[in-house]
Amino acid sequence: MFANFRLAMTWLHTWFGLVLGFILMAAFFFGALSVFDREIDRWAIPETRFAPQHMPSFDAVLKPVYEKLKPHPDDMVATQKRVIGDLPHPDTLTISSLYAYTTHRDPVLTIGAEFDIPNELKDAADEHAHVHGWATIDPRSGEFLSDDKLKIGSNWFYPMHYRLNWSWMLVGYWLVGLAGFIMLVALVTGVIIHRKIFREFFTFRPWKRTQRSALDLHNLTGVVAFPFHFFFAFTGLVIFASWLYFPVGDTLLRPLHKQHEVVEAQRTGLPNEPAGVPAPLASVDAMILEAKRRWAARDMPGEVGLLFINHLGDINGYVSLYRAGSDQVALVGQAIHFKASTGEVLREEPPPSVVGSINEFLTGLHLQHFEHWLLRWLYVLGGLLGCVCIATGFIFFVEKRKRKHAESGSQGSRIVDALAVTTVTGMLIATIGMLVVNRVLPADLVGKGDWEKLAFWGFWLLALLHALWRSAPVAMAARNPAWAEQCRVLAALAFLAVATNWLTTGDHLLKTVFIDTYWPVAGLDLSLLVGALIAAWAGGRLACKSTSFPGMKQEGEAYE
Amino acid sequence: MNEALWLLLAALTALLGMAWLALAMPMHWKQVFTHTAVQPSTAILRLLGCLSLLVSACCCVMADSLSMAVLVWLMLLAGAAFMVAMLLARYPTLLRIFWP
Repeated sequence: MFANFRLAMTWLHTWFGLVLGFILMAAFFFGALSVFDREIDRWAIPETRFAPQHMPSFDAVLKPVYEKLKPHPDDMVATQKRVIGDLPHPDTLTISSLYAYTTHRDPVLTIGAEFDIPNELKDAADEHAHVHGWATIDPRSGEFLSDDKLKIGSNWFYPMHYRLNWSWMLVGYWLVGLAGFIMLVALVTGVIIHRKIFREFFTFRPWKRTQRSALDLHNLTGVVAFPFHFFFAFTGLVIFASWLYFPVGDTLLRPLHKQHEVVEAQRTGLPNEPAGVPAPLASVDAMILEAKRRWAARDMPGEVGLLFINHLGDINGYVSLYRAGSDQVALVGQAIHFKASTGEVLREEPPPSVVGSINEFLTGLHLQHFEHWLLRWLYVLGGLLGCVCIATGFIFFVEKRKRKHAESGSQGSRIVDALAVTTVTGMLIATIGMLVVNRVLPADLVGKGDWEKLAFWGFWLLALLHALWRSAPVAMAARNPAWAEQCRVLAALAFLAVATNWLTTGDHLLKTVFIDTYWPVAGLDLSLLVGALIAAWAGGRLACKSTSFPGMKQEGEAYE
Repeated sequence: MNEALWLLLAALTALLGMAWLALAMPMHWKQVFTHTAVQPSTAILRLLGCLSLLVSACCCVMADSLSMAVLVWLMLLAGAAFMVAMLLARYPTLLRIFWP
């Protein structure tokens, strides 16, 4: 079929890279944004622009909050489909377990709970006889934040990164997973087909024709950030492996898994099931103090990152406190478990096994809850290098074929180029357009978050239509003017985002940098301005060069 | 010395190391110096480059725990290599400061 192995690998790299590249582009770009998801949340929800808070007092602040927390209407609807008979009224349901999670970057606190339900389940294999409730609160006062206000960073851009915000049948998760796997394949095949990895390690020749310079940049960004690309694709797969790709604990090995839970409960002394005997909850604040004392005694003082209470209100109830992983790669750790009714220590987790440590390192390096701002920015750089690598792959694909396609009348290059415009500049327009809409819509608009989501897809669809509409020159081996035009729109939108933030909140850059320093907002504003300048420059360069419109068989280069 | 200084040093030595490794290649040496200077031994430049990257790794370890330092160092290498490549493409003569 192929003359040699290298040609076979080239085919694999080209076609799988092209098809899945559009998804990979989204995964890389929104992954880069997710590094600063909490900061984007602050920008999008101005009333949450205050300093990060530690886990608040449970007894004084959180306990009354959980008493007010109700099952979420969305989950009531979803759960109703799984059970026989009508669910009871949400106000009558009681909490069986709860959690609160915070990191060193969170001013607001994410909380959630499971509520027991009396209904029988339709599927005998389904064991989730409960409904969930969740909310975001201001930990200083315990006040609930409106559900209408979308956390654009952590609840939109971040899920775009790993499931494309496409929940139906988990299709988004599977597509991103497949793309992640293909990324690994593309990296390996890329190394095989690249003849001069070391000799051309630093090579980028922008003065050469576009096909060559795009390949230079493709190779450069792929090779210098190879460890980043490889480990992020790999750890991304590891994170989802156990529950999505190989959920054997829920399927093939289910009896073993159940038995393991029982043995684990006996080993750790943490009850697997409630006893059915009611019991009050002792002071959780006292447990927090004890946990902090024990962490300090182990020479690793820290704050609580995750608080979890299981079997709430039962004699078998226990409180688990996990140390926030600000100073380590692992997300949280050093858990200490207390008996909920008395506050006595049930178990102090020993250091994880070698396998456990490796797993924590691999997942932690990807999910990055640590406190290390330089590494965060380097991750953004890695993500953007990945985007450049994929985008130049598209450009190389088109450049290599467009002349031949023009001669044969094929529309292949034209379509790929239009999709590339949509995935590169179009995706940026959707992202920044959403931020502008966030600032322009009234703060108290009902369903504001839904409008923002609609705007995101709307901008992206417009970018696609525009790219297709302007794509005719590609069929004549010239450049699609949509590249330049969308760059200019992008520049305008990014300036507009910064301006609207100033106008609607009063938080201009002089204030957020110098007067009343608030880096989460200043950082995003500055990034938007830098992005605007780069887009304006790129738009200018592209438009300028396209004036020398080359003929179909002319030797001049469209992109140069 | 505080953490930020160690990280700054790590970034600078990573850049220096990558610049020396690039200058060890005759093609890039010519880009930087045209014909104004004779290239020193490739082996010396490579050795200096590798040593500098090693120093960078040590600086990372001084700043953070080992597990964190590995991540920072690998990412600094990527950033430094990309920066050297961009300088070679646009402003190659700037790299002369690395071999005065």
